[in-house]
Amino acid sequence: MTKKFTTDIVIGLEIHAELATDTKLFCGCKTYGDDNPNSRTCEVCLGMPGSKPVLNKKAVDYALRLCLALGCKISPELIFSRKSYFYPDMAKNYQISQYEIPLGIKGKLKLHTGKTVGITRVHMEEDPAALIHPSGMTKSKYVLVDYNRSGDPLAEIVTEPDLESPEEARLFMKQLITILNYLGIFDVNRCIIKADANISIKETNYTRVEIKNITGFKEIERALKYEVERQKQEVKSVVQETRAWDSDVGITRSMRKKEVEEEYGYIIDPDLVKTEVTKGMIEEIKKDMPELAQQKVKKYIKEFNISEEDARVIAAERLLAEMFEKVAEEVDPNLAAKWLRRELVRVLNYNKKEMKDLALDEKYIIELLKMVEDNEITDNVAQKILEKLIEKPFSPRDYVRKIGAKKIADEKQIRRFCEEAIKENPQAVEDYKAGEKKSLQFLIGQVMRKTKGQADPAVVNKIMKELIE
Amino acid sequence: MKAEDFITQIKNGKIDVVEHTKKVIEECKKINKEYNYFNVICEKEAIEQAKKVKKDPSGKLAGLPVSVKDCICVKGVDSTAGSRILKGYKPTFDATVIERVKKEGGIIIGKTSQDEFGFGGFSVNVGIDYKIPLNPFDKKRACGGSSGGSGGITQKVDFPHVSLGESTGGSIVNPASFCGVIGLCPTYGRVSRHGLLDYGNSLDKIGPMAKNIEDVALVMEVIAGKDENESTCLDEPVDDYSKQANIDISGMKIGIIKEGFRKGTDKEIEKKIKEKTKELEKAGAEVDEISLKTSIDYGLPTYYMIGTSEASTNLARYCGMRYGKHEKLEGSFNDYFKKVRSRNLGKEVKRRIMLGTFARMAGYRDAYYLKAAKIRTKIIEEYKKAFKKYDILICPTVPILPPNFDDIKKLSVVQNYMIDVLTVGPNLAGLPHMNVPIGFEKDGAGVELPVGMMLIADHLDENSLIRLGSALLK
Repeated sequence: MTKKFTTDIVIGLEIHAELATDTKLFCGCKTYGDDNPNSRTCEVCLGMPGSKPVLNKKAVDYALRLCLALGCKISPELIFSRKSYFYPDMAKNYQISQYEIPLGIKGKLKLHTGKTVGITRVHMEEDPAALIHPSGMTKSKYVLVDYNRSGDPLAEIVTEPDLESPEEARLFMKQLITILNYLGIFDVNRCIIKADANISIKETNYTRVEIKNITGFKEIERALKYEVERQKQEVKSVVQETRAWDSDVGITRSMRKKEVEEEYGYIIDPDLVKTEVTKGMIEEIKKDMPELAQQKVKKYIKEFNISEEDARVIAAERLLAEMFEKVAEEVDPNLAAKWLRRELVRVLNYNKKEMKDLALDEKYIIELLKMVEDNEITDNVAQKILEKLIEKPFSPRDYVRKIGAKKIADEKQIRRFCEEAIKENPQAVEDYKAGEKKSLQFLIGQVMRKTKGQADPAVVNKIMKELIE
Repeated sequence: MKAEDFITQIKNGKIDVVEHTKKVIEECKKINKEYNYFNVICEKEAIEQAKKVKKDPSGKLAGLPVSVKDCICVKGVDSTAGSRILKGYKPTFDATVIERVKKEGGIIIGKTSQDEFGFGGFSVNVGIDYKIPLNPFDKKRACGGSSGGSGGITQKVDFPHVSLGESTGGSIVNPASFCGVIGLCPTYGRVSRHGLLDYGNSLDKIGPMAKNIEDVALVMEVIAGKDENESTCLDEPVDDYSKQANIDISGMKIGIIKEGFRKGTDKEIEKKIKEKTKELEKAGAEVDEISLKTSIDYGLPTYYMIGTSEASTNLARYCGMRYGKHEKLEGSFNDYFKKVRSRNLGKEVKRRIMLGTFARMAGYRDAYYLKAAKIRTKIIEEYKKAFKKYDILICPTVPILPPNFDDIKKLSVVQNYMIDVLTVGPNLAGLPHMNVPIGFEKDGAGVELPVGMMLIADHLDENSLIRLGSALLK
């Protein structure tokens, strides 16, 4: 072992993220669309004799963006290698990957906690086909192969063994996904992100166990938590091996004991020419690179003076961040942060919608929040308008005017509603006087109901107290 | 008859292309019974194409019969690279060279026999159940290899014909020499490899073999040039090779490779080459001797390391899963793959897979595969330096006259590989080279056999090959 470990748990990740190009890495087949088995295939991704790979330049562009975002040192040449091993999901029984010279090395990712995780390498490779077990992994008598996925472009991200807990591994994955999203090179709805994790604990003198095939950031934490517990309980019998994560059952299973490193017999792929990665190419991509979440968090705190927590939640979602930036230009950034982070996200979650599903123009959000800011409508009314706004866009100002939902702050008017409420609910008044403080909220609620939420809650509160005390 | 004259007669209707094609097929069948030059004769497809050409004879190769080495994909026609493991494999697409030949009205008549996957220099390493092609001058002798069938049929037929061969370490010029025909192996990347069943991808080249140098030039013009489907194919303009024939060679600088005449080179061959060289001098060429020690001394091991390393990955896909020979499904996928490969790959194929797999294994790849790559660079440098001084380098194509099968059987593996000693250099360096038949010599047994001279030119200078070749053939 090259590094001297001291922490209780040592974790390193190898993450495979599918890049969101339209076509595959070495042929013109679509990476999405028709999901009928083997419908998106050709001679190249089927590995038919005589076919030759031609590199998808877009995928290189995407991988370069990732390297830059992770602060990697970028190789001046893009070289592909053949990684040879026999397996039924391999169209050619070798995978076109990168070996000696990966596209990026020596990068880093800074976690929200302030910790920096080293990135050993970022490289490109093609996805193998999918193996389908018709009646489950263990029971199927045969396996079907679907080559639709064969040849999809993947970026492999390898971290240093810097992670110290399953929670930290999850955070890393989550932040990485945010970056991929920001870069516009990953589509959460169709791209798969998978991880293999190396994990060892102090008690076993850091005997390394590899866990294969973990999908998504929640699963990473689950799988690693399970594995830490297993290793602690079986300290004496832990051996260097490869295990598979079975997410259905929630356990890891031994796949193979690994005394020696696997033998892949790498050679340079002679069917592909070396592609120069020029300074010009990198500059072009840099110009095109969006500001990343971490830069945004810093900017929001500094320029908009909002809380770090608000800043982080907003920045984590690119579309939300973009909307926030526009809205914060027009209304108080703290008000904007509160409404976007809490209310908009709540309404979206409730409706099981995502930012990208919204046909919402930020000008309406600005209109709405301006009315809140200027005390023209109550929060209550604004929430209701927001709920309607995510259904279909309309002008909140016109709406308020039309239905007369302006805030009622006139004390005389409010006093009348309060007196009505007291008259109709004598029991509540009695209870309040007997010390039941909750009853005040009930009475205020009655007034809000009568005014369709338009009464200024602060004024109602003040007058109601005067009247019953 | 030259291809050009024949094509003119097709175009003006003096020759009926369908009738001619039928005759050609019959002739091929007859020859094949005796000499085994074809793995498949594609009669149906040839006649269909002839009918198309009859309707529209505007193509540059209208009606010209073209045979193709078995390792080049022809849509719908068994393309097996001479291996039982691919028995029954009918590609769903044409190789780029085939597409271009067909587009210009050429008629694909069949797939020629070869060493299995190109692994040999005599075409005796044919796949299980395949037949060995016999030398057109003496049936007891080899055609050379690995494009043996292409060499043999090209010599044997009297009708205008061009064959497409393929070379990794000398497989075009070697059989051309043994069969007494012209064989041009172009610059690496000059002709698309799309649709070629790979041996060593960094070495493989497709090139024409013919009796007339003008025919070679004509077909080169059709098959060369950029291909979107193949990354190593060069985006360089294609020359009018035909215009190079019959140009004066005075002032051409020719280097005779000294190491081509070491112990092991037949005296008859040396004599013939030297005679011809004098003629070139008389015609005004400047001839001088040059030493290419790195290329000749280290070429063979370098070639076998790189070639087999690449081949062992290329051949991994043949496992009986989706195409080619299948076996009864039993056991794990590993058991199955092993069974398919053990039963259906020939002995030399297995040897080269093992060699190549070993050379790229962790712990050995530095000493073998990577070292070979470094020496390859040195070899290229040596040639590049030579071409600063010379237009063309010459030497015998093969150091011996076509041997008989009994003698080949006595050769050790390394002796067998030695047949490539002079040809691997230009192949490693990706340089265009050509065999020119320069006459006949009697061997010890008194049989008249063809002698070939190899011309090597600088990258993309196929023009000089055609030019000097045509002077030699006058």
